[in-house]
Amino acid sequence: MLYILIIVLSAIAQFFGPWWLMAIVCFALCFWKSSKPVSAFGVAFLAITTLWIGFATFQNISNEGIISQKIADIFKLPNAFLLITVTGLIGGIVGGFSGLAGYYCRKALA
Amino acid sequence: MKYLRALLSLAVVAGLLFVLNRPLGPAPALGPFFNPFSGFWQNAESHNKSAPSQLTLTGLKNEVIVKYDDNGVPHIFAQNDEDLYFAQGYVLAQDRLWQMDFYSRVAAGRLSEVMGPLALDFDKYNRRLQLPEGAEKIAEALMHDPTSKMIAESYAAGVNAYIDQLTYKDYAIEYKILGYKPEAWSPLKTALVEMVMRKDMNARSDDYMMSNALSKYGKATIDDVFPDYPVEESPVVPVGTKWDFVPVAVPKVPEMLQASVNTRLSIEAENPGIGSNNWAVHGSRTATGLPLLANDPHLGLSLPSIWYQMQLVSPSVNVYGVCVPGWPGIGIGFNKDIAWGMTNVGSDVFDFYQIKFKDASRKEYQYDGGWRPVTAKINEFKVKGSASILHDTVHYTHHGPIMYDEGQKPFFNDTPVGHALTWVGPVAQGNSLKALYLINRGKNYEDYRAILPFLASPAFNVVFASNQNDIAITSAGHLPLKWKEQGKFILDGSNPLHDWRAWIPVEQTPYVRNPQRGFVSSANQFPADLTYPYYLGWKFAPAERGIRINEMLASMQKATVDSLRLMQNDNFNVEARRILPDLLKILATDPSLKSNKGYEILAKWNLKNDPDQIGATIFERWVRELRLAIWEDDFPSQDPKKPMLLPTRDRTWAMLQKQPTAKWFDDNRTPNKVETANEIVITSFKATLDSLAAKHGPINPATWNWGIAKNTTIKHLVPLFSAFSRTGVYNGGGGNIVNATKEGHGPSWRMVVELDKSWPKAYGLYPGGQSGNPGSIFYDNMIDKWAKGELNELVFLKSKDEKHPKIVAETLLKK
Repeated sequence: MLYILIIVLSAIAQFFGPWWLMAIVCFALCFWKSSKPVSAFGVAFLAITTLWIGFATFQNISNEGIISQKIADIFKLPNAFLLITVTGLIGGIVGGFSGLAGYYCRKALA
Repeated sequence: MKYLRALLSLAVVAGLLFVLNRPLGPAPALGPFFNPFSGFWQNAESHNKSAPSQLTLTGLKNEVIVKYDDNGVPHIFAQNDEDLYFAQGYVLAQDRLWQMDFYSRVAAGRLSEVMGPLALDFDKYNRRLQLPEGAEKIAEALMHDPTSKMIAESYAAGVNAYIDQLTYKDYAIEYKILGYKPEAWSPLKTALVEMVMRKDMNARSDDYMMSNALSKYGKATIDDVFPDYPVEESPVVPVGTKWDFVPVAVPKVPEMLQASVNTRLSIEAENPGIGSNNWAVHGSRTATGLPLLANDPHLGLSLPSIWYQMQLVSPSVNVYGVCVPGWPGIGIGFNKDIAWGMTNVGSDVFDFYQIKFKDASRKEYQYDGGWRPVTAKINEFKVKGSASILHDTVHYTHHGPIMYDEGQKPFFNDTPVGHALTWVGPVAQGNSLKALYLINRGKNYEDYRAILPFLASPAFNVVFASNQNDIAITSAGHLPLKWKEQGKFILDGSNPLHDWRAWIPVEQTPYVRNPQRGFVSSANQFPADLTYPYYLGWKFAPAERGIRINEMLASMQKATVDSLRLMQNDNFNVEARRILPDLLKILATDPSLKSNKGYEILAKWNLKNDPDQIGATIFERWVRELRLAIWEDDFPSQDPKKPMLLPTRDRTWAMLQKQPTAKWFDDNRTPNKVETANEIVITSFKATLDSLAAKHGPINPATWNWGIAKNTTIKHLVPLFSAFSRTGVYNGGGGNIVNATKEGHGPSWRMVVELDKSWPKAYGLYPGGQSGNPGSIFYDNMIDKWAKGELNELVFLKSKDEKHPKIVAETLLKK
């Protein structure tokens, strides 16, 4: 449930606003919903990774991989799959730590 | 503990956001860049992308319709001219905003603001060339004429209407990687783009190297080895054409500068291949009975391409062609009645003056028997990654800037230190927007000639054809009225007679209309033979392309679009025809070459620079080596202290054929031996094969074929972004071949127009694509077709109501 909520709300936030809104979404939802530090980090990490990888993959397919190959070359990555993985990791790590921070802040205020 | 955890985790998040939200050295901020909702994934343009059906834009007076054909070419239908140029700016910015912004930054000397210290010396050079001052002068002229003012302002408003809609996710990928934002457009920026052209076409000079040679050998020898007109030539204006004007007085040749030039500099390769072909065939020689016109401007091949195709329609105009991003109007193209094209004239419009300072303080310089003050200007530079503003002081004489003071290192090695520069770029004014406005609407020969006063710089050979069966060509532009050989060598900055004093009257620049031979053409060769009353320069592009074009056209009857297209792709090597038989005879005297594979291939070569010919590879590399082997000892082009110009290939071949015992063949670096012409030819041939083998392995088609060895590369405008470039474009041609495709230069637009009484047919393409986005299929979709020598049929709509099968999308721009 939390996983789905993070995906939906952070997708909306990033569609209209800057990328870092997703950190606020993860923070707020984990503050509200998460039960354990591991799951706060894990769910937020997975949700953002899913979203970023999913959307990047969608963009990549409709573009038939033209730009991903070129950007991978610029970053000296061997192929576009790795580029998509890096995309997912960057988003996931920020999302995960934001979720964790949300959980710990609730604990601190409880 | 629980507070600590909370604070710690918040600190990690804050740290991550901080680090990911700012650029890391040369890398972009990773957070926004990788975020698929805003970063580079947004530049992954869908193959099924369709233009929006309507857009509302503030600034329009009426509705504008933009139709897109299947090649991504916009066809703009406006109800008035203000809206037309507004829409042109808007539509162009959609596809090429970053590129036009980039050009304007180059000319403004502001590239290091966004690229960092790497670009600083380039910026300093461009400021010293006075590109910004030249642009201000152009912009001022634009504002004085109500038509050009309207065009420049409407266009800028259109570009800005696009910029105003953008957020980070819409930015071109180059903005995202380099981490900066588009700046508002203005008429001044349009003028800056024009200055880039002036620089590319005109800003090179041999003066310094020629002066070094003069001081070593004296005038008589220089006259012999560097003559003012080639042995073989086929000038733009046919030999024998009568000049139907009374020339103004040409200044007398004053006393020449005798002092040897003693500043240091080193020199690199020769001028790059800025050249072009164009021609028009009279109806008497075509299948339709009406003219055909062809043009292929050769420029540095780049991505995004220098050109953008468009059709512009308003109640006053219906024109199709290509424009340079940032420069309103259609630059090369056609309308219902006429077609026109351009090549660079390449006359000598870039001269250095030796300056005699009064004393070591360098505050005054000698002029006309007295002393004049040197003025100083301080250029300021913001550099990416550095908080402080850098300064660069440039000293000026009335001739122009002293390009580099003693002790400074020139950006280009052919700029002499301590010399002042006069060149056409910052001084010629003109009004190119007005010229394009008029020619876009031109109906006949008189309309064509009427644009001449507005064309200043760069000077172009403007070819013309009309459906009234007129053909013509004019070397149009502001050309300084010079005494003979003025600027062949470094000029005397203290002698007023050495100054540029006037321009050749515009109506007296070389031109010809409907010549007897039934065609006109240009390929950057001499505009006219020595009967022309004015001195334009002692050296133009080698004659071979012009010779070949004129031969082919002279033998052509019932010419068609396809015969002209084939001509544009002609790979015949006129230079090889001229010199190879003699060279082969010499090689045949060496028994060790009897069964040499390279020699056999060359002997059987069909004299065409086709991509699958090994002979072309050997010949092209060899003639380069051979010329160096003959001359480098006498005229050391690579000498860091006193570099000299190598005599031309034309002069070299004439000497080999007519003066085989000339002293120049002896290599004076071998004091105990006197080499003959034959020895130089044979040893340079063997050396060429050795160096080719070192590079490409043993002779075989997979690595030695011309199309592969040449390796034509189309680079992105930022050389660092090699992933956005295309290498290994398989194509024939060469510098002195009609198909002038070299390693990094070549036909940047090919066009053939068949004039017609009712509606013309036209064909064309360029080595790139309409989109500037490396993530679009329209980024480079024309390259393969271009390499094969094919052309697209251009969609020239009669009106907005015409139904055309190639129109695939339509956008309504509402006010």
